[in-house]
Amino acid sequence: MVFPPIPNREYHEHFMRQAIQMAELALASDETPVGCVFVHSGEVIGRGINGTNASLNGTRHAEFVALAEIMSRHPQSILTTTDLYVTVEPCIMCASALRQYGIRAVYFGCLNDRFGGCGGVMKIHSDPGVDPAYPVYGGLFREEAIMLLRRFYVQENEKAPEPKPKKNRELKTEILPVTVTQPTAAAAKSNMAAARAGELKHQMA
Amino acid sequence: MSLFTFLFHASTSLFEHVRHLLEQLTSTTMASPVDSVAPSEGWVTKRSHSHRLVQLKTKEECRLGNETIQVWTVELPSRHAEWVLKIVKEQVKDQDMIDLQHLRRFAKPKFLPQHVVGQRDKVKEMYSIPRAWESTPFAVMQAPSTTTWEYAWPKNTKQMNRPQTLHLLICPTRFIQLSDLHALLMQHTPFCSSADSWAYPLQIKEVTVPLLSPTSPQQADMWSRDYWPTFYRKTNPFGAHPATIWKAEDELQNVSAPGNVDVKEAMTLAKTVGRETEIRGYGIGPGCVIMERVDNVTQIVAVAGDARSKPVKAGSMVEDTNTHGCNGNIMGHAVMRAIGIVGRKRLRAASHIISTRAAKAERSFETCGLGHDEQARDAFFLDLPITPLEEKYFADDNLVPDGYLCLRLEVYLTHEPCMMCSMALVHSRVGRVVFLHRMPQTGGLTAELARNDSGPVGLGYGLCWRKELNWQFMCWEYAEEQKKGSTGKVEDSSTTDHHAQHIARATLDLTGMDTDFNGEDDDDDDYASVSSFVESTHV
Ligand SMILES: [Zn+2]
Ligand SMILES: [Zn+2]
Repeated sequence: MVFPPIPNREYHEHFMRQAIQMAELALASDETPVGCVFVHSGEVIGRGINGTNASLNGTRHAEFVALAEIMSRHPQSILTTTDLYVTVEPCIMCASALRQYGIRAVYFGCLNDRFGGCGGVMKIHSDPGVDPAYPVYGGLFREEAIMLLRRFYVQENEKAPEPKPKKNRELKTEILPVTVTQPTAAAAKSNMAAARAGELKHQMA
Repeated sequence: MSLFTFLFHASTSLFEHVRHLLEQLTSTTMASPVDSVAPSEGWVTKRSHSHRLVQLKTKEECRLGNETIQVWTVELPSRHAEWVLKIVKEQVKDQDMIDLQHLRRFAKPKFLPQHVVGQRDKVKEMYSIPRAWESTPFAVMQAPSTTTWEYAWPKNTKQMNRPQTLHLLICPTRFIQLSDLHALLMQHTPFCSSADSWAYPLQIKEVTVPLLSPTSPQQADMWSRDYWPTFYRKTNPFGAHPATIWKAEDELQNVSAPGNVDVKEAMTLAKTVGRETEIRGYGIGPGCVIMERVDNVTQIVAVAGDARSKPVKAGSMVEDTNTHGCNGNIMGHAVMRAIGIVGRKRLRAASHIISTRAAKAERSFETCGLGHDEQARDAFFLDLPITPLEEKYFADDNLVPDGYLCLRLEVYLTHEPCMMCSMALVHSRVGRVVFLHRMPQTGGLTAELARNDSGPVGLGYGLCWRKELNWQFMCWEYAEEQKKGSTGKVEDSSTTDHHAQHIARATLDLTGMDTDFNGEDDDDDDYASVSSFVESTHV
């Protein structure tokens, strides 16, 4: 996946920063560091972190937690003029839900190459379907999003009863660059591979 | 039939079901979990059509199942067969890289498709003199080791007094060039001696064969007829192992322990569960049943009906966000609700360790400033029971303690779930899924894009068995027997009709609950969806 330039990037970075903050809070409480905010007319109307541990429900992703907050105060139709900022690409489940809800646009940090529904594994946001497709923009604070996940794994491994060999616990800090030029099909493929090599191996997005 | 008559009939029969259900629910004995929906004299079995489990094709089966490869073959006398095979195996390098174990290495001519026996001889072509002016594509050649001219095509292959021959599948054509193969074989009996070479001229053919193993005996038969004798080896590289599927199908259909619920009863319950929420005006009809099977003893652990229309906020109406008119609260899909209910049930029965961990996670929500209104959250996720039937199964502490999510549980659905719900099943690690109606426009489980024997093709996601994802589960369509065409039919009625029925039912629900209806159940198909919503609805 190649992340093309995002128009008006500073505006979006402001909200992605808030999503990153949510993920950091989650990490500080030993939760999977994925965070998101929903933004309507320049205002955050819902925030979320992963809720799977609290609910023993594997589907309680950050996006849904935030949607619960929104629905308690707003009519559902507000989503058609709302954008989502999430540190990790929405999974296939969330990507489908967002499309059914009629989300306006999705901005994400890093790819989710295990479950991604907005290009990482499938393209639920744009595949032929009964609901209108929505645009996605990736790569906003991508490095930060990846680093949060890596810190989480190091943290988890250290807590594990039988620690893995030391090399697995080292915090990798180098992150492969992402090309932002519009590619040929072949270049897109190799960029995808590069992105995958450096990107997350995680399930709770 | 006027709309009113139709509504009346539908409502009457529904009524009967509900009344029956309530009787069952209020009775003091709750012996078997299915008693409440399948009384022995009951309406369930009365007019039932026979259904059968049809295992869903996986994405890879649909995509790769018909790939073929070109191979070289040669006809030779049986007594030389093993020797030539030995030579070929020694001399043609790397041919084991392509696994063709599903194909017979040697085939008797009578078991070969006619077009293979009559195939043009590549060696002759190699040395042939083209005669473009001939209307039939035939050539005259002189075999390299003889002085005789032969007619190549078309040709009568029958020769009298000829010893028995076999056709040897040499190897895929990519591993050796025709000229090299020809030179190799010419060095060995029976092709090398000039006497033998006359009796058995070296005829190398290029034949198309299936590249991958067949996934069923039927497919093997078909390929044997069309390509080359093919074995069904009881393996499936693109899905669950056939033995696993047979075991599962046996467990699903045969009640081996007293009180066990089979697929038929589970499906009936799923329908009832969906109706229960529908008649209250909460949803549009789909239902979900989640079952745990331990040592082949079944326990229904959660049931949930679609509740997309249930208001998220007290006193408000759920508004539809799009033109389909059936969107509502998407968290109200039956699958999402049932999965959520399993989580709630696990929380309730959790050991100290698990509940401490969950409580800590809950507190971290507050740390992150997300400790919002619990009631509002429950109203959105709808992961607590909302009907007596849902409550009955929720109240039963019958889950194996401290299990992980929905690991290896069985899920019975009235409708093929949407992509959100299909992926939720993957995230929840379910083991087996059976659904009744295909949803070609919105369903996430079926994989066919081009052709489907049991109904229309869908979106082709085949999410139950995708190698790209970290979890796969077995999935069946509960297809109607002896009825051609679609099993995924959903009555196409306008939204207005739907709402009219909705209101009519809800009204009857409120006013006539204790009236004694003697209405005969005129539902001529036990499994037909009573609910009618547009085909583009996400379930
Ligand atoms: Zn998700
Ligand atoms: Zn659904």
